[in-house]
Amino acid sequence: MSDIPLKLNAAEASVLRDLVEQMRALLKESDAADPVRARLFPDAYESDGDSAAYRELTGGDLSAAKLEALDRVAETLGSGGSTKVRLTEEEAEAWIRALTDMRLAIGTRLEVTEATMNFVPEPNDPTFEPLQTLHWLGWLQERILERMVP
Amino acid sequence: MGRMKQPTVAPDVERESDIDEVVEADRPWLVIVWNDPINLMTYVTYVFQKLFGYSYEKAHRLMLDVHYRGKAVVSSGPREKAEMDCFRLHGYGLWATLSKSE
Repeated sequence: MSDIPLKLNAAEASVLRDLVEQMRALLKESDAADPVRARLFPDAYESDGDSAAYRELTGGDLSAAKLEALDRVAETLGSGGSTKVRLTEEEAEAWIRALTDMRLAIGTRLEVTEATMNFVPEPNDPTFEPLQTLHWLGWLQERILERMVP
Repeated sequence: MGRMKQPTVAPDVERESDIDEVVEADRPWLVIVWNDPINLMTYVTYVFQKLFGYSYEKAHRLMLDVHYRGKAVVSSGPREKAEMDCFRLHGYGLWATLSKSE
């Protein structure tokens, strides 16, 4: 796979830097009752006991992998301004995973469903902006994905 | 709790139940991916290809099953392997669970 060009203006890069920070904070908290956390660390089994044992075994590694992907994204973005880089295969992989976690966090927070996902609220609606971000992150993910070879 | 045995009375029944236990232990674990409204279809297809080495056609069909039927079995095997697959799917943000095949 050849390297993937990624170009973000200063505003877009800034939105992503904020999201990286929010995701890091979310992953470092361990509020099991948070629905976003439940979505990022799903129950693996029907039985609560088996799920708890599985989470005990894998939760640390899963959290570390998510934080690592965020670190890679933060490295790509740099400390300020716009971003114009070429992603290696490994970086692209980290990007699509981190973008997924951001989208899951925003979508779960908004309690989106198949029906509401493509509903466009009024611009003054509090969900307008996060929904826009959710769709933009998806657009960005697909631009990266279409250049990747599985 | 132990089971009472009647060694000379019903040997055939005893043997049958042993076979059942072997079958029970051998039944594979299924890795199930559930539909969610957030992950994109292109992404889910990519993940199935990437993690399981499936062809685009197979991965795409599984993705459509997830999307339209609500879930699909994406892999199966002994518990340890199924747990690893489930873990890798969670790493990609897919909603995966495990259950014993029937």
